[in-house]
This record gives sequence, structure tokens and C-alpha cells, in this order.
Amino acid sequence: MTCSDVQRVLPEVIDGDLNGAFGSDFETHLRSCPDCSDLLSDLKMITTEARQLAATEEPSPSVWPQIAAQLRAEGLIRDQNSESAAGGPVLVQLPPRPRWSAWWLAPVAAALVAAGSYVISHKPAPQFANQQAPATPGAAPAQAPTTVPESPAATTASVPAATPEQEAKKSTTPTGLPAPAPEATVEPLPSAEDRQFLSVVSTRAPSMRAAYENQLKAVNADIRETQAYVNRNPGDADARQHLMDAYQQKTLLYQIALDRIQ
Amino acid sequence: MTDPKHGITEAEAIEQAKQGHEAAFDVLYHLHKRRVYSLCLRMVSNPAQAEDLAQEAFLQLFRKIGTFRGESAFSTWLHRMTVNVVLMQLRKKGLPVVSLEETLEADDEAPRKEFGTQDVKLTGSIDRLQLQRAIDRLPPGYRTVFVLHDIEGFEHNEIAEIVGCSIGNSKSQLHKARLKLRDYLKFMRAEKAKTG
Repeated sequence: MTCSDVQRVLPEVIDGDLNGAFGSDFETHLRSCPDCSDLLSDLKMITTEARQLAATEEPSPSVWPQIAAQLRAEGLIRDQNSESAAGGPVLVQLPPRPRWSAWWLAPVAAALVAAGSYVISHKPAPQFANQQAPATPGAAPAQAPTTVPESPAATTASVPAATPEQEAKKSTTPTGLPAPAPEATVEPLPSAEDRQFLSVVSTRAPSMRAAYENQLKAVNADIRETQAYVNRNPGDADARQHLMDAYQQKTLLYQIALDRIQ
Repeated sequence: MTDPKHGITEAEAIEQAKQGHEAAFDVLYHLHKRRVYSLCLRMVSNPAQAEDLAQEAFLQLFRKIGTFRGESAFSTWLHRMTVNVVLMQLRKKGLPVVSLEETLEADDEAPRKEFGTQDVKLTGSIDRLQLQRAIDRLPPGYRTVFVLHDIEGFEHNEIAEIVGCSIGNSKSQLHKARLKLRDYLKFMRAEKAKTG
């Protein structure tokens, strides 16, 4: 057995898949070749030590309050008299009765859900994917409002997705092959719905207003980035699910505002 | 698994979390936070980004906890979800999760030695901090496979499914990652000896 032979079977030896299949030849070579012996010993040491790295790091204490606040905002944590708040800003506690001044949020939220559902459910056929990739996901927001035709706001709900779709088109080669992701250095202008949303939440306390603005900014960035990725990789089911989740997040944000605006 | 602070088991916490009890979410978070955060940190090598990803992983978990039926271990479910969150982030940033090219390219990013030549052995033990630094230097594709297999204990068939590569590709990249780590560690040790 040569050094090359040893190196070829090393991964199996280290991971215990060979169980001595090479037997004496392997052992004989190791005894006579310090380089191979050292290599095996080093790699075993690396794998052994690597296992000790799992679960060694502690996140900062600020992480849980942020998660708890978000869970409350989404209504996953239900207020219970016997429990105290976990600290940190609470975006939503008890939803008051919605007022008609925020009527526009309902169809917009519905349109967002419809748009997200369309993106997930209209997966392009594989042979079509490369040729139509940039155009197909972009069609989703344009068609989504057909599910809520009575809503004037819904017809413009596709605005946030249109710009990144155009960006994605630019980032895709004529052959449809994926291109490197564009750096999101310039943030698109807010859509009409987002401007209206920001206008309404601007009446809230500064800290609450900042929380709304930050969440809207974050979810829009997530939608933009994921949409661009889906445009380039229309067959990626995980990405499509992530995009759906992002749309639902934005819907939730609108719904929260609907519940809380006075 | 029992949370010592609240005195309830993980299974009890899961059921209570499905009912919206904050304390139950708290228990589940604190039982798994180190594992989730460490995984994120190993994969992205940036503490702030790792915290964001850990937060996102827990939020996804808690949003879907009503669908958890216990067919698999809760930790496995969470673990898989965390990996998907991190990989999605890497993909969005255009970073390679795993790439065929990396298995074929020349190893030009580490101090290279010809196999079979005399070299310094990594005697004794490996300093954990140095190992972490060496992992941070791995190209993203190598790092993903190394972290998933050697640190987190995923099998090659699982890695292949998660990252979308062949089992052979996963094995190949793991081996190359280990070799690169060895070179990095020896280089660090030599540098330390020079300055020390």
C-alpha cells in the first residue's frame, strides 16, 4: 500500500466506515511511514476536537426578549395574568377593536397573502424554469389582486415586488443562468401602501413607530432578497417557502397595525 | 430533557407552547439556545449575524410548533430548521453553500505541502480557539460540510439532501476541509512559535 492509497481511504478510516477492511497492509504502511501516520493522527484529532465545538457558544441576553416580543406581536404568546412579560419592547399586547380609519389594511394584507400563495403554488415546469425564471415569479403580484378585485389598494400591493424583480432580471444572464446576487446598496422607495402604513403608524409613540418602521424595513428587505433569489432559482422549494413566510410576515405586520391603530 | 429552572420536561413545554404559554417558549429557547446559536456562529463566523439567524430559527420553530407531532426528536427538528435558515441566508447573499468547483479547484488558499514530505505534526491537543479560527478561514462551501458533519453530526446523505449536492461531493469536500484545517492549524502553530 502506497501513501496515495492511504490518503484515498483516509476519510473512511477516520469516519470508521472501513472497520479494518484494509487490515494489515494499512497498519504496516502506517508503521513504516511517519507522514501518513501523522496525517491520520492529526485528522482524527481535528474531528474529535470539532465535536467539542457544538453548543459551546452563548447568545447575548438580548436575543430572547426580541424573540418574545415578536411572538407577542404575532399573537403566538397569549397574555396570561399569571405570567409576567419577559421584558423588552412589546409591540402588541391586547388587540383593541379595529377602527375603520385603517380599513385599507385589510385588503392589502389579503393581497399580500394571495401574492405569496401565488408565488408558492405557481412553480414553473423544470424545462421552462431557465427560460422563464425572471418573468414567472414577477407575474405573481400582478395577478394576485384578482383574488380581491374589489380592493383598489390591492391592485397596487404588488409594487414592492416589482422593483426587485426588475433588478433580478438585470442580474440574470440572457441564457437564464444564475448571476451573482446584486448588492442591495440602494433601498427602493416605499410603495404606496407602505407610505400609507408609515403615515398611520407615525402617530404612535416614537419607540413604537420605530419598531414598526424597522420591522417593515426588515420584512421588505427579506422579500426583495428572497424574490431575487427565487427569480434566479425558481426550482428551489425552500426559497419559495421562505418567500411565502416573508409575505406572511408582512401581512402580520399590517394586521397588527390594523388591530392597534386608534 | 428537563429544564431545571422551571422544572418541566421538554415534552411538557412543547405542549404548553402550543397553547401559547410564554414560560414554555422560554423553556424551549433556553434548552436549545446554545446549540442553535453555536451552529449559526460556526456557519457564518459573525456573532451579530449568528444572533439574527438564531432568532429567525427560533421564530420559525415557534410559528410552526403547532404542527410538531413528535415523529422526530424536537432537537432534530429545530436543528434542521436552523440549518435551513442559515443556508437560505447564505444563498441570498450569493455565497456558495457547496460547490462542485471547490472539489476540483487547486488548494491554493492554505500553506500547501506535498503529501509524503516531512512536516511538523500537530502533536498534543488542538487549541479550541485556534480550531475555531481555522474553521472561520475555510471557504463557505467547505465550512458548511465540515460544520454539519464533524461538529453537528449530520451524515453525508443528510448533508447531500440539505445542501443539494451528491454524497460523494459531500465526502470529498469534508476531506478537503479537514486537510485545509490541518494546514491552517500548523501554519498558526508555526506563526505562534516564531512570535513566541
